[in-house]
Amino acid sequence: MKDSLVTVARSLIFVAFALILCALVFQFAGYNAPLMLWAVADGAFLRSGAIEQSLRWALPLFITAVGVGISFRAGFFNIGAQGQFYVGAICAAFAAEALKGGPAFLVIPALIIAGTLGGAVWALWPGLLRLRSGTDEVITTLMGNFMAGLLLVYVTSGPLKDPSGSGQQASSRPLDEAYRISDSLGISPTIIAIGAAVGILMWLLVNRTAFGVLASLAGRNGTMVEWQGARLWKLGLSSFIISGALAGLAGTIEFMGPNGRIASGFLPAHGFTAILIALVANLSVIGTAAAAVFFGGLASAALYLPIMAGLPAAAIDIINAAIALFITARSKLVDQVLRLGGRPS
Amino acid sequence: MCNLLKPALECRDVTVKFGDVTALSDVAVSFVPGQIHAVVGQNGAGKTTFARVAAGLVQPTAGAVDVMGHEIRTGKVSVSRTAGVELVHQSFALPPSFTVAEIMEFGAIGKGGIYSRKGLAKKWRGHIADLDVQVDLNRRIRDLPIETQQGIEIARALVMDARVLILDEPTAVLSPSGINMLFARVRRLRERGVTVILILHKIREVLGIADTVTVLRGGRKVEGPLPIAEVSAERLANLIVGEAVAQTLDRHERDALVGTKPPSGEGAGHPKNAKSPSVLSLKAVSTRPDSEGIALDGVDLDIRPGEIVGIAGVEGNGQKTLVRAISALADLAGGSIVLAGHDVTGKPLAARRAIGLRIIPFERNVEGLSLTSSLWQNWSARKLLQGSLLKVIRPSAVREACDRSLREWSVHYHNSAQKAGSLSGGNAQKVILAREVDRDARLIIAAQPTRGLDIGATAFVWQALRQARDRGAAILLISSDLDELFDISDRVVVMLSGRVNGEFHAPFNIASVGAAMTDAAARVSA
Repeated sequence: MKDSLVTVARSLIFVAFALILCALVFQFAGYNAPLMLWAVADGAFLRSGAIEQSLRWALPLFITAVGVGISFRAGFFNIGAQGQFYVGAICAAFAAEALKGGPAFLVIPALIIAGTLGGAVWALWPGLLRLRSGTDEVITTLMGNFMAGLLLVYVTSGPLKDPSGSGQQASSRPLDEAYRISDSLGISPTIIAIGAAVGILMWLLVNRTAFGVLASLAGRNGTMVEWQGARLWKLGLSSFIISGALAGLAGTIEFMGPNGRIASGFLPAHGFTAILIALVANLSVIGTAAAAVFFGGLASAALYLPIMAGLPAAAIDIINAAIALFITARSKLVDQVLRLGGRPS
Repeated sequence: MCNLLKPALECRDVTVKFGDVTALSDVAVSFVPGQIHAVVGQNGAGKTTFARVAAGLVQPTAGAVDVMGHEIRTGKVSVSRTAGVELVHQSFALPPSFTVAEIMEFGAIGKGGIYSRKGLAKKWRGHIADLDVQVDLNRRIRDLPIETQQGIEIARALVMDARVLILDEPTAVLSPSGINMLFARVRRLRERGVTVILILHKIREVLGIADTVTVLRGGRKVEGPLPIAEVSAERLANLIVGEAVAQTLDRHERDALVGTKPPSGEGAGHPKNAKSPSVLSLKAVSTRPDSEGIALDGVDLDIRPGEIVGIAGVEGNGQKTLVRAISALADLAGGSIVLAGHDVTGKPLAARRAIGLRIIPFERNVEGLSLTSSLWQNWSARKLLQGSLLKVIRPSAVREACDRSLREWSVHYHNSAQKAGSLSGGNAQKVILAREVDRDARLIIAAQPTRGLDIGATAFVWQALRQARDRGAAILLISSDLDELFDISDRVVVMLSGRVNGEFHAPFNIASVGAAMTDAAARVSA
């Protein structure tokens, strides 16, 4: 626990570097950088209601990021969280159409299960391709993102089209209020409970089961685990399925909670921010929770930036990109700093 | 020619440090021209580093190197080669897709231009013939047997008219008859006036070929160059292992470790339970060809409890495929495998491990351990795989059990969370022993279990295998070191081209085992 928080703290130093870099860029671009940083802090955590807003973004991000961490640990770079997130939401939306009129206490769990399974299936096929024929999962999951994005466009402008829609953004018919798990604010006991349950279960899986130890060994040296008698495809496919299922669950929560419908191209950066969160957290579950709150804060601040600092909301994308840059360079930088410290090599 | 008076190669107080590790420490040695000099020592004594300094591959931290009386710039291969020093590496470094003639041209650092295959072959035919290597110059390296490859390595080293030729462990990959061929070749080089430095680790070989011997231990020169007439096998053995260690080893074991005498296996000959049923029984096992090595072709093999069966053979004759077949990691094309009374043909490795199969794999750092994972994770992998993947574990309890086990196997480590990659080779191998050699082990496959280990660690591994044998486990030992095989095996099976090509009982006859390793008749019929 302490170790993983230390890791996050260390990562946050690089996040701070990224913020400073962005501040410099914005300053030179003619914006007021100190005001921008203040707006970020204010919009994320300080303003009244900001914490709730941050958590609203943090919880789905956390759920997806934990899944990403599981597959990365096992050595599979499933970067298809975005697609799995979409397919989860789409499946839940179809299930909602099919079960319309049923009692809420049955329909709500059924939708959640449908969405989770949908995400799992969207990770299953790249997993099978990888483990059966060695197809690079980075490419297949990336392609899966585009396919899911197009599927979403089709579904929202075809089978699930809301006839009363404005026409600007195709979207599905709204979910019946009875089946919503939160209002449009997006934070409710149900969602918090789901997030907590995912956190606890995944923490146990990673730290307290044979699967956790073996998947981490397999991620670092699959050959060794194979000589121990492990079936790599079993470990690998489970990791793919879990990561896809969690992304699908997050999509379902967005559909049944704050959004109440699915719209073409909604939350287009969700899956990628989740990858970033998993990397900042160095794949630990507790670290992921901490990092998700931070990035949830940034997401919440994004809505607030235009008002406070006159910056476009896209400024947050720039900040995210800068963070990604620094996090990717992290290990190299640490190495170099240590070497400058005068260790002969 | 004043050159004759000057040493062919002289190292003056050479020290080499890799980070905190001192590989060579103040080594001062000079070699008379026109002789065969042996440099001996156990693994980690600094022999290879010494050779690499002389060849300009390693820049010494301090000290100087003279060739024919002239100091040369250190750490530059081109400088050493121009001065006439050539190194033949332990594992050959020939590009496998090149033809013999192309290798010669490449080694000569040609001036460029247009080549024809015919022209190249014609150009180098004389050179190859002079060295008595029988080979078609248009054959590709990958198609040649290992003895010929070595001959070509030597021929390549001599295209620049080398005056000092260093051979790093040239006997390690050869069969006994291949070693005789190599020695004959080396003697002919001496007649041509080449100074040959042989890095060896078997005393028997040193006494058979060298004019002088130099002993390294722990990166320091202990003695030498001593004229070979002045040293006995006994004294050399003690110099190599050090008096202090020599006291702790039993005489027989020490002799096997440093290869004092031709191996005979007198010490083995463990009482066999000829009547008890086999622990492992392979019947006509063949495997499908794959990229990882030669396929097995109708292998029959039986191992009884309390028996150590050694697999001898020149490397690459199916030993690795045999281990993979028994471990369910190679696809069978035919035959059956019975393990401890259960027919496990087609059963996965997990099922075989559950009935007592244990494996010390060939590649310690790839197949044996995950170097970037913690010790306790590496240690616990086998047990964790026995239950359900969702079995709940308590890491603190696993780490305690790991600590107990590693202490029992006297592994030197700080704490079980440290990475396996931070251990030395000997300690890393002990971690694998701690995981694989338990009381439930019925069949232990030990593949090159002592490769790269120093004498202390080697003796430790042998003792562990013997103890397991005495408890009733069956042991399959694969080694390219005949001394090792003969010393601890009760029976030796020779593999050639994916087949069993002979079986021998103690006392072993090195000549007949050696003949089975390279049997020409078997190769033709294959």
